[in-house]
Amino acid sequence: MTSLPEEHARLPEEHARLPEEHARLRVDIASAARLVAPLWPVERFIAVNPLMGLVDQGFGPAAAEAGRWFGAQGYPARSLLREAYRAGRVDGRDLRQALVEHGADPEWSTELLDGPDPSVARPPRTAVERADERDHTDLATRVDTEVARWCALLVSDHGLPFAPAGASAYATWRRLVPGDRRLRRIGSTTALRGLPEDPADAVLQALDSLGVAPAARTAELRGQLARLPGWAGYARWCDEWADPEDPAPRLGLLDLLAIRLSIDALVGPLGSAFGTESVEPDNEGRPSPAGEAAMALTALEGGFRRRLLGRLDRPEDGLTGPVAAQGVFCIDARSEGLRRHLESVGPYETLGFAGFFAVPLRFRAIGSTEAYPSAPVLLQPTTEVGEVAITGAEDQVQRAVRADWRRADLSSTAESVAHGPLSMFALAEAAGWVLGPRALARTLRPGTRGPSDGPRTRVTVGAGDDEGFSLEERALIAETALRTMGLTRAFAPIVLLCGHRSTTTANPHAAALDCGACGGNRGGPNARAAVAILNDPAVRAELAARGIAIPETTWFVAGEHDTTTDQVVVLDRDQVPADQRERVEALVADLRIAGERQAAARLGRLPGAGVGRSRGEVQARAGDWAQTRPEWGLAGNAAFVVAPRTRTRGVDLEGRCFLHSYDPVHDEEGTALETILTAPMVVAHWINAQYYFSTVDPEVLGAGDKVLHNPVPGVGVLLGAGGDLRAGLPRQSVMDGDRPYHEPLRLLTVVEAPIERIDAVIARNPVLQQLFDGEWVHLVALDGTTGTWSRRGPDGAWHTEPTVSANEATQPEEILT
Amino acid sequence: MSRAGLTSMTKIEVVVNGDDVPAIGDVLTTCGASGYTVLSGVSGLGHHGFHQGRLHFNDRDALRMVLTVVDDDRSDAVIGALRAFLDERPGVLFASETFVSRPDYFA
Repeated sequence: MTSLPEEHARLPEEHARLPEEHARLRVDIASAARLVAPLWPVERFIAVNPLMGLVDQGFGPAAAEAGRWFGAQGYPARSLLREAYRAGRVDGRDLRQALVEHGADPEWSTELLDGPDPSVARPPRTAVERADERDHTDLATRVDTEVARWCALLVSDHGLPFAPAGASAYATWRRLVPGDRRLRRIGSTTALRGLPEDPADAVLQALDSLGVAPAARTAELRGQLARLPGWAGYARWCDEWADPEDPAPRLGLLDLLAIRLSIDALVGPLGSAFGTESVEPDNEGRPSPAGEAAMALTALEGGFRRRLLGRLDRPEDGLTGPVAAQGVFCIDARSEGLRRHLESVGPYETLGFAGFFAVPLRFRAIGSTEAYPSAPVLLQPTTEVGEVAITGAEDQVQRAVRADWRRADLSSTAESVAHGPLSMFALAEAAGWVLGPRALARTLRPGTRGPSDGPRTRVTVGAGDDEGFSLEERALIAETALRTMGLTRAFAPIVLLCGHRSTTTANPHAAALDCGACGGNRGGPNARAAVAILNDPAVRAELAARGIAIPETTWFVAGEHDTTTDQVVVLDRDQVPADQRERVEALVADLRIAGERQAAARLGRLPGAGVGRSRGEVQARAGDWAQTRPEWGLAGNAAFVVAPRTRTRGVDLEGRCFLHSYDPVHDEEGTALETILTAPMVVAHWINAQYYFSTVDPEVLGAGDKVLHNPVPGVGVLLGAGGDLRAGLPRQSVMDGDRPYHEPLRLLTVVEAPIERIDAVIARNPVLQQLFDGEWVHLVALDGTTGTWSRRGPDGAWHTEPTVSANEATQPEEILT
Repeated sequence: MSRAGLTSMTKIEVVVNGDDVPAIGDVLTTCGASGYTVLSGVSGLGHHGFHQGRLHFNDRDALRMVLTVVDDDRSDAVIGALRAFLDERPGVLFASETFVSRPDYFA
């Protein structure tokens, strides 16, 4: 590409439209963009419901929209129901119940099992698609290729050596595109020399050129975005979710549409382009295939619900005698196994809470000048918390930081050279002899270093620091955390707050395995911040005034669970008071045993893993850069349980449940329940929906085969050399070969609380009405005083849920397999 | 109340879901509003029942009010676009005459 003639930079005044037109266009774009879910940069991967913009329509209509606009399947293949029926996970009761709930003949069980999967009929969505259909051409596909190529270039630090500094993506493209000869394959490129300066004018001009009437504008824009939903999702993230300070490259929705429509318009006048409507096939009185697929899903969910409730319908199981320590773990379904094993090792109580521990912060690691948000993406943290050397360890910390900088410099230089347009080839020639043996060694002997103590630092939460939270804020954080998790009395001498992280190598989707409650980051910093707050005497005095008395003999410690290796590191051990060290060391030893048991259990489910080499095997997977499945992540997740641990203690839930602790006795106003349902449950629903849709359609709503992923640095992955940015989870995260490993079920929320309290919380939160009434999430309540289980229907009515008593319930291993 | 020396302008207030605030901001600036104010923690009884104003861990699903002041020349464009937005999204719009002491702040 070359620089352009000077006259091109002048504003073509004749294109400028009125502000009213621009504003209406913005409204149309906002409406159209709700079809696509925001897509976070992959290094901060956030699991979201890919149909989150359609949540207000309800699950069924949204699934139909996904078929219409993306050509996506919205329901599991019928073979999953047949498989579950053969395995006994779904029985005749579940089939009949599903048919009755959908108003169908309960005798259709056989037809339900044997019915075909619904076909997806995707009608043309854009003017050019309609012209393609009419003329038997493939112009829309060719436009996709060019737009995707430009998007990848525009967000690349290395792809556009002549790009104007600080310019928007559209401004850069407008300046450079007249030199793009590939676009001649689509049509005359003369118009590209006179594009409007304002992207809104470019969109309006292109829409006029394509003959799109104002009334059809939103549909056309929606169709344009649906053709490349990955890039559109990234643009939506840039517009609506990105922090203004975020360094990620920007590509706004308006930019994307201006580029896309301007290339579309090269096709020339389309004449009377027309579309066709999809017609539901006549099913001779039977429900439509989509209707049957919905029933099949209901039957699968009914089977799971029956088995889960059967296991929970039992006397409560509490710890008797003194408690050595309490461990608070993230609600992440991967914590469930570790908690169960820890409780089996010694006199420990465990609790579940969102892994950011109620501390929304921007964390600045030691040696870094930049802070990143570490909180659920539903929050926008503004308080910066830094990591600084503890008194007396400044020299040691400084040496460690310098060593880190040197490593980072080398790594950054290598990265820059490796991605440069020309230098990448020279790098292999010049440095291959150095890097080659190292690469060979890593290939032949994969592994990771064990956790090290690292520099002795602390986090600046506010007490005596120039940054962090005020005392009032710290007290509020502490009170909210403790009340919401139901830990307001009977504190153990040691309380562990355990965040989590993952260790994987050469994995663009590594953040998908980190903590969602920490915005796709490791959870250690938040655990350390919460511990610093809860050990602060001033905070404890405030808490005491609010009715929460933490004994002086109680000490909080921070930990971090590596979910790939099942090692748990207790952080800042050097800061533990002398009289508590023995207890902490005992906890560390028991966490090691619990981690080994958890690793052994997980290995049994990982394909290709050996038996009897648990710790070595998981270490090897974490460090193996050819490993496409270092762990199963949250595959299998299906339920969110809000209850005291006594309800689930001792039950093997196989890592399928998010567990949030809740004390219904001390929450009469429903304040804690409201917090749990409107935030952790929403995040759990996003994760669940991401796994669901990545499984039911791995190619359209998932990220496809990981082996073929090609990273766009700082942004995401492509499948192969080009095309759309891939959203969702890779096949390897949800599939075992061609068979789903993840069982795609909508989230089942189980709450132990009076129905009246739950109803009151739902009534004042439209987000919950959408999720429950729209059947994105199912809700079951247990009244702890009567032992009655009830299920809430989409109409808001509660029905007593028949459960199987614990004695009749299926065995633990039958829950999943 | 004395309004001597004050300049008449149009005040526009919109109450929407937190999720919709970026789009509303886009519309306002596109129409030439020089700025706007976002108020969080908006609660009350509305068409769809009572709305909780502040959620502990969720800023996106609570209601917010976006408030701007524009001169009368721009108000039609702003109101027209916001009405179109609210055709599809939940929310309410209030437009009223207001008086400001520093009209250049809103020009």
